[in-house]
Amino acid sequence: MLRAIAKSLLARKLRLVLTALAVVLGVALTAGSFILTDTALKSFDDLFGDVFKGTDVVVQATTAFDPGAGSNSGGGSERKPIPEDLLGKVEGVDGVAAADGVIGSSAWIVDPTTNKVIQNGGAPPIGGSWNNDVTSLQIEPGGAAPVGPDQVVIDAATAADHGLAVGQRIKIATSTDTGEYQISGIARFASSQSLLGATLALFDLPTAQKIFDRKGEFDAIYVRATDGVTAAQLAPRIASVLPSGFEAITGASAASEQQDQVNQGLGFVRTFFVIFGFVALFVGAFIIFNMFNIVVSQRTRELALFRALGASRRQIRFAVIAESVVVGVLGSLIGIGLGALLAVGLKALLALFGLKLPPTALVIELRTIILSLAVGTGVTVAAAWMPARRAARVAPVEALRDSVAPSASIRRRVIVGTIVLALGIAAILAALFGGASNPGILVGLGAMLTFLGVATLSPLFARGLAAFIGRPFRRSASGRLGDENAKRNPRRTASTASALMIGLGLVAFVSVFAASLKASATVALDEVLRADLTLSSNQFNPFSSHLAEELRSDPTYSTVSVIRSTEAQVGPTHTVTYPTGIDPATFGEVANITMLTGSLADLAQPGAVLVSNTEADGKGLSVGSPVDMTFSATGTQSLHVVGTYETNAFLGDYTVSLTTYDANVEQKLDMNVFLNVAEGTSVADAKTKLDAFLQEQYPNVQADDQAASKQKFLDSINGLLYFVLVLLLLSVIISGFGILATLWLSVFERIRELGLLRAVGMSRVQVKRMVRIEAVIVAILGAVLGIVIGIVFAWTLQQSLSDLGITELSVPIVQLVIFMLVAALIGVVAAILPARRAAKLNVLDSISYE
Amino acid sequence: MATATQLAARAVEVRKVYGTGDASVEALRGISLDLAAGEWTAIMGPSGSGKSTLLHVMAGLDTPTDGRVYIGDIDLTTLNDKQLTQLRRDRVGFVFQAYNLIPTLTAEENITLPMDIAGRDVDRSWFDQVVDTVGLRDRLRHRPTELSGGQQQRVAGARALVSKPEIVFADEPTGNLDSKSGAELLDFLRSAVDEHGQTIVMVTHDAHAAAHADRVVFLNDGNVVQEMRSPTADAILDEIKSLEA
Repeated sequence: MLRAIAKSLLARKLRLVLTALAVVLGVALTAGSFILTDTALKSFDDLFGDVFKGTDVVVQATTAFDPGAGSNSGGGSERKPIPEDLLGKVEGVDGVAAADGVIGSSAWIVDPTTNKVIQNGGAPPIGGSWNNDVTSLQIEPGGAAPVGPDQVVIDAATAADHGLAVGQRIKIATSTDTGEYQISGIARFASSQSLLGATLALFDLPTAQKIFDRKGEFDAIYVRATDGVTAAQLAPRIASVLPSGFEAITGASAASEQQDQVNQGLGFVRTFFVIFGFVALFVGAFIIFNMFNIVVSQRTRELALFRALGASRRQIRFAVIAESVVVGVLGSLIGIGLGALLAVGLKALLALFGLKLPPTALVIELRTIILSLAVGTGVTVAAAWMPARRAARVAPVEALRDSVAPSASIRRRVIVGTIVLALGIAAILAALFGGASNPGILVGLGAMLTFLGVATLSPLFARGLAAFIGRPFRRSASGRLGDENAKRNPRRTASTASALMIGLGLVAFVSVFAASLKASATVALDEVLRADLTLSSNQFNPFSSHLAEELRSDPTYSTVSVIRSTEAQVGPTHTVTYPTGIDPATFGEVANITMLTGSLADLAQPGAVLVSNTEADGKGLSVGSPVDMTFSATGTQSLHVVGTYETNAFLGDYTVSLTTYDANVEQKLDMNVFLNVAEGTSVADAKTKLDAFLQEQYPNVQADDQAASKQKFLDSINGLLYFVLVLLLLSVIISGFGILATLWLSVFERIRELGLLRAVGMSRVQVKRMVRIEAVIVAILGAVLGIVIGIVFAWTLQQSLSDLGITELSVPIVQLVIFMLVAALIGVVAAILPARRAAKLNVLDSISYE
Repeated sequence: MATATQLAARAVEVRKVYGTGDASVEALRGISLDLAAGEWTAIMGPSGSGKSTLLHVMAGLDTPTDGRVYIGDIDLTTLNDKQLTQLRRDRVGFVFQAYNLIPTLTAEENITLPMDIAGRDVDRSWFDQVVDTVGLRDRLRHRPTELSGGQQQRVAGARALVSKPEIVFADEPTGNLDSKSGAELLDFLRSAVDEHGQTIVMVTHDAHAAAHADRVVFLNDGNVVQEMRSPTADAILDEIKSLEA
């Protein structure tokens, strides 16, 4: 039996390859996501290992929690500073060989040729003190450590990338000022590991204390142990001399703390990519299902003959399953290989969107291989399960008849399809409106069931829909024949189209949703934003609060109001939130916040907090409710609600006064500065003046008028939209392969018919056109179903989020029409090979083909 | 009626060899045959005699190894695939033993298929005439699967005739039919010859079918061995016996 299987597999190499391809791309994306994130993780691990290599113990202030990747600390730490005199105490501990006071903050280096701030994606611009004793950094030959208020050391990568050399003077912006410094040396880690895009600007300790506003203070103390004393022995000894509020941890655990943070951030990236891998696998499953179904139909006679010769149903089923295992394993293995390549592509894609990962060798963990194999093979076998059962149902007598394997009744199809569809819709509604605990997974499951349900039901209306789509083609004979071929087997057409339906459904969904998001944002920004000019730094990094202070003394501006944002935790569950800090007195002049209860002015009371209406509804908060908010630096603070506002694009779920904010947050940096221009000056003039000032003093900050602010926001949505569309492209490509495979098998099924057509005078060109038109009809059918589902999905999501300010539903008609045309084009491309095959058939052989 | 002296098609010293070297088989060995216009010729012979090959070569479905094949005054051996396709479409009709129809098209669409492919208008009065002769008026909207084997073959016959081809090639057209359905089809072909001067070439192994023709050509080992005019079934059977002896 196994030999028979192997033979039948090898006899149809192309079919094998096409079926395997359906798995390959999905597995490739899944494996690629893991390879990419593992690789990135490895290089961050290496980097942090390097950073703390020479450091045995780190002394720092304790924190309530470690802010994650989304915190707006701008490269600085959310820990309270350490008083200088602690250094002496630490140095006195037995086993301490050397100890350095350390300053760690942000500093933006300005490229002297472009006069622009050097920033590599999301990597932090690090500024701080040069450690004389405890450091793993080395100064390259020809340079020296920084000494005095005029000198700086920068990292080797930045120096090389921007052509900076020892002796050169460069401009550096910090959170407190912008100054010119002379490069005294170029530093690198002993292992010459790159800094992953981060830039480094290090000054001697007194200078760092001055420009980073740490007079008489350090951010941390780095300690090296004497020989024979381990870090683990030394840390508790140092801890015993520290006052409360400070801790001494080993360099290794300091490194792993940072690694954990990065891990969290990358974990999000991984999940994001893997989701698209699963979507691609889901699409692939449809194609595998279809292929096996067609093959079982075509081999009905052969299967019946096996049965007549004594093969049991189990053996037949086993044969089909075994074939699917071979296909699955083969596809997964190729997929893993391709995944490594794709990881490189995904990296480039991320870089395009501002997230640069280091150029290190790919890390392919055993876990990645096992998982990819399991998922790829599992999906293939699952998809082949029903065709296998169908194959086993073939009766021996059918060897003598010209019939095809029986398939499930229409009635059962309607019942099963309706139930699956209903479950899917129910899951989506429950997730979006029912307040489920894990809405993300429930929505995904619901969407999957909805697609499955529609796919199950689609043969019922595929004929009618195909007839409608095919109408314009029916004028020519090849068009009519192509149209008829698309309609002749509604199940096959429907499941081929379903694969494309999923891909295009998601494409349409994100497009409609993004359009709605943009429309809603436009409305919201128009309503909310009142400031003439908005200042922000690129990459959403916060910037120095000194800028706002300087502008306050400028009579050009009637109002200067800032907004700050940090990561905190709220309530007994310590739910992560991003509270905003504003000035209650001036914020109302730059933003039109709709207060539902209380007023902005109430925020001036000590311990006051304003809550968004969505959060208030969700948590049952109203004026007077107590809110426990935990800040990283100061721990849990008891606040009370003084008002609620309508959710908007500027404020987080919680808003406190700047006074409260500054009392609890170490990095007092501004996210935005909003300006109103005083009467007598035009906004354009003010902006021209401001631009020049910023270029000189705050090169990392840009000013935008209202239109530009809006455009910036819309651009950021567009960026995300294109990113997602690129990832969905893979699924769409897979469904193109599905059309190709189905047509290919269909051509073989219709050889005699094709021969007849050629005999009665159909030209090769006409045969090709016929196959092409069938493909186009199937593709458009899938596109229409997908786009309808996508619009419905987007509408549902928009409705559920209308509380959060997504008030508008916008359907980008032009975009959807383009998608439809792209689908048709995919049909045309997918038809190339099958059409060529059909046209090449020898007339005489085909007519007598059995 | 057409004059018997005019030639609808002819084969001149046609050879057809399949395969190469030791494995090669010579299906046609320099055969020559003239087919008069307006005449129905039946080609008979034992299996392996080359009768089907001759039909395929003369119809432009297959190319001869040697020799010339004409339809009217066109030499088929000088045509490329595209020209051959056009010739089959415009000047030749076909009836095969089975699977003559496109399953997705109705009877009417199957009948007009060659003209639809050519993008030519259907001569409605001629179409009606053919359909009435073949007795399919009430079956035009049916698909092949809804027709009996005899009806299917008559649809194929109607398709072969409706484009007014110069010559119709029929390859065992009654091979899969019971005797009653077969007789219906043969009567239909007969009337096409008698009433419209249609030229027909039919390969068959059935003496009763061949008896409907004006002329029977007997093949053996790739050559014409005997000819008979105004044949009867008995005379044909006698001839076959003498060939096999």
